Parts: sequence; C-alpha cells; structure tokens
Amino acid sequence: MEKVMSSNTVSHLSQAEKKQQRLEILYKILPVISVLLLISLWLFASKDYNPKIGSGFPTPAATWERAVKLFTRPVKKMNLIMHALISLRRIGFALAFNWTFGIAFGILIGWYAKPKAFFSPMFDAFRAVPPLAWIPLITLWFGIGEFPKILIVIFGSLASIVVNVRAGLSTVDVMYLNVGSVFNATPMQTLIKIAIPSSLDAIFAGVRTSTSAAWMVVLAAEMLGADSGVGFLISRGMDSIDMPLVLTGMIAIGIVGAILAILTQLAERLICPWTRKSK
Amino acid sequence: MDKKKQVILSLRNISQSYVIQNEVKPAVEDVSLDVYDNEFLVVLGPGHCGKTVLMNIIAGIEKPIEGKIFLKGEEILGSDPRIGMVFQSLNLMPWRTVMENVEFGLELAGMGKKKRRAIAQKYIDLVKLSGFENSYPHELSGGMKQRVGIARAYTNNPEILIMDEPFGALDAQTRYAMEEEVLRIWKEEKRTVIFVTNNIEEAVFLADRVILLSNFPAKVKQVYDLSPLVRPRDLMDPEFLRFRTEISDNTDLAL
Repeated sequence: MEKVMSSNTVSHLSQAEKKQQRLEILYKILPVISVLLLISLWLFASKDYNPKIGSGFPTPAATWERAVKLFTRPVKKMNLIMHALISLRRIGFALAFNWTFGIAFGILIGWYAKPKAFFSPMFDAFRAVPPLAWIPLITLWFGIGEFPKILIVIFGSLASIVVNVRAGLSTVDVMYLNVGSVFNATPMQTLIKIAIPSSLDAIFAGVRTSTSAAWMVVLAAEMLGADSGVGFLISRGMDSIDMPLVLTGMIAIGIVGAILAILTQLAERLICPWTRKSK
Repeated sequence: MDKKKQVILSLRNISQSYVIQNEVKPAVEDVSLDVYDNEFLVVLGPGHCGKTVLMNIIAGIEKPIEGKIFLKGEEILGSDPRIGMVFQSLNLMPWRTVMENVEFGLELAGMGKKKRRAIAQKYIDLVKLSGFENSYPHELSGGMKQRVGIARAYTNNPEILIMDEPFGALDAQTRYAMEEEVLRIWKEEKRTVIFVTNNIEEAVFLADRVILLSNFPAKVKQVYDLSPLVRPRDLMDPEFLRFRTEISDNTDLAL
C-alpha cells in the first residue's frame, strides 16, 4: 500500500506518514483520557461526601485510605488480599469440577447422538434456572458453610462451559472427519484426534465464560451469607454504612476479574498456538 | 505394454443417489471403469457432475447404492489403506503443524513417533517443504498447503492416490507450477494416480488416459488414450491442441 503511494509523489507519502503517526498517538492517548475522565467523574460525584455521617459518594482518597486500613485493621482477621484469595479459592474448586465434569458432559451430549437426545432437554431446563434461584434450596440442605457456596458457583458456571463444548463438538467440520475415514480412524481416534482438537477454540470460549460467570456468582453467594470473601466485604460495608469499604470491594472485584480474563486468554494462546493468526 | 496395462482397480456398475427434498436424485449412474497400475488417470467432468461423489466412494467415505469395487481382484468395502486421497478443500488440520499433518495417517495406524517422523520427513522433502515442518497451515500459501496434502497422502504409502480437484482454488500461475510438480512427484514416486478435474487443459497436460464424465448424474461418456502425446507436454503443441479441442467439443456444459 505504502509502496504504491511512494511512486506517486514524495509529499503524498510524508502526508500519509503524518496521518499514520497522528493516529498512533491518538490510540495511545485515548485510554489515558478515559481513565482521567473516570477519575474526574468520580471526584465530581463525591464532592458532597461527608465522611463523618457517611452521606454522599466516597472520594477516591477516602476509598484508598479504607483499602490501606484493611491491611492494618483487618476485617475478621483478614486483609483485602486474603478475602480476595478466599473468593478465588471458592471459584477454583467450582471450576475444577466444572472443567472436568462439564467438559466431559459437553462432549457426551455434543458428540454422541443418543445421549444428546436424552440429556439435552433436561440440561436446557436446568440452565434456564438462574443460579441464584438455587440459593434457598442449597442453604436449606447444606447450611451456610463452604460447600454450599462452592455448589452455588458450580451451578452458576456449569451451563456456560457445557453449552460451548456441546456447540463445538456438534459442529465438527465434515472435511476433517473425512480425513479420518480415509485413514481408517477408529471411533475413539476420531473423537480424540479430530473432534476434540477441532473444538478447542469453542472449549476455550467455555473456559473463559465459565470463569467470569463463576466470579460473578461467588460474589452474589458471599453477599447473601458469609464471613469471608470480597462479596462479604461489600455486604459488611453496606451493613455498617461504610461506603469506602463497598467501593474498595467493587474495585477489587474489577481488578481480579480483569486478571482472570487475561490469564484465561494467555492460557488459550499457549495451548492453541494455531489460533494466533497473522493479521 | 501388456505388463504396463495391469488392472489394479475396477469399478463395476457403481450408482449413487440421494434423497433431496423428497426427490430421489441420481448423482452417479452405472459407472464401470478399470484403472491400470501406475498410470496417471484423469477423471474429467463439468462442475458438480458427481466426480467428488465417485471419488468418495472409491476412498470409502461413502457407500454406493449399487455396484462393487475391486482392488487387485478382491472386493473392498469401506476405506482401504492402499487407497490415499488428496482432498479438494485441502482438509489440513489447522491445529497441527505441517509435520503433524503429514504424519497423521501413520499416527492413527499406531506407528512409533521416531519411525513415522522419518517417513513423513522423506515426503516433506519430496514436495519441497523442508524447513516448514513446524509451520501451521495458516502460515502457508495455497500452493504450499496443497503440497502438504500431497505429502500426507503419500506418507501412508498407498498404491492408488486419488487427487480430487486439488488445484481448483489456486491462481493460474500457481496451478501451472503445481501441475508440473505433481508430474515430477509422480515420476519420482510411482503410484497409480486418479486425478479429478473440470479443467480440460489440465487433463490433457497430465493424463495417460482421460475418462470423460457426463453432467449430473455422472456417467462415463468417453475414454481418451493420451499416451501418443510425449512428455513433457507443450500446451501449444498442435497435437496437444487437437486433443484439447476434441475433448472440449464432447464435454457437457455445467449450467
């Protein structure tokens, strides 16, 4: 493209270069502007904040102080990072189960016709029920310990992985399967060497969405009855009209959620190098 | 001459039809033909005339409604390791490198890694892709992808190699180059080749014999013996052009 332009006139090229440079600078500045805008909006919204009676919207400074105070005066003997780690541990257990059972079940109902016909209506009814609707039943059966919280997270993030794996396995391109038949692949080889690898991007889409779903559901579960976790920090802040604590919890959620998204993306690039297409 | 004309593969009264929107549509009708050992046979027919269906039947991907296939005198049912295939749409697995694609057949057959890699390497070298063993298909050009497809089919050491319109998606220049490559590979590693195309010039350039099929459903319309044309062939040679015109006048139009 640029070579074609250079054959025309020299000034033409330099103009194109200038335009390109301007655009590159703009793309670097825009994110900075957006963060500054967000902070100034925050400052504007919190101009009427009264820390004494806790009315209004907390200032960034008050929120930062509250976050630091969490380390010097922990809530329930735990600082901010420990609360975040507790929440992460809960979704860790839930996801470990979902990524084994959920992927296996997704393969079963995506690849094999009879289990698909048998389980699909059951599963589609299950996933239509919002995970939070399970909370009363689960609390009644299992109380408010660690296990029921993990169970709620399992229920809340199982559907997204199963749906994606099922979609991947039920749309394997016939042309790959034909290669298998020409080489006399056994049914097991067809599944393991063709169908599953060809669905890996769909499986990873499931891993990503189930991770973010688990992170949302664990916070909801913690807000409804817990004495640890980031969700608990938020509900504690609400109960004691400690709005800086609520905001601290919210920001922690945002940061951890972003880190989880980046990590799953990195894992996908490591495991599926062929999806890194040249642009 | 007699030794050369040994029949390796015979199709007898092959028919295939499908039910499309409650109507039975024949795709292949009563095709019988013999393929000779080590010959370069071109199956020529207008677009979508049922050529691919016929090849899928020989490769064992589909079962015919009627008819039998004999390989060296014995009937074959389903796919046979002695028959290999280079696919029309490449069908390279994007999640496998060039090496992993080429060794795929041997891997399925349960051969050890060291042994199969050595064999795969030989054919990667044969199709001149040395140095690209660890590249992924999306990093290759169209012609290179077809080379991978050819190497993959060769690696399983088939006696018969089906090439189903392998160069249909390539631009004209690459196509000419690949046609010469296929002849070079065929000379170096003699196999029986069944090459499918809808391009008359390509057919006359490559073939020992041309089987001309009629339009949908596919039937054998005529068989041309091109052995009088000496190789390497010249696209502008009067004799070449005479064959080309003769076949061209006899070919149905694909509408």
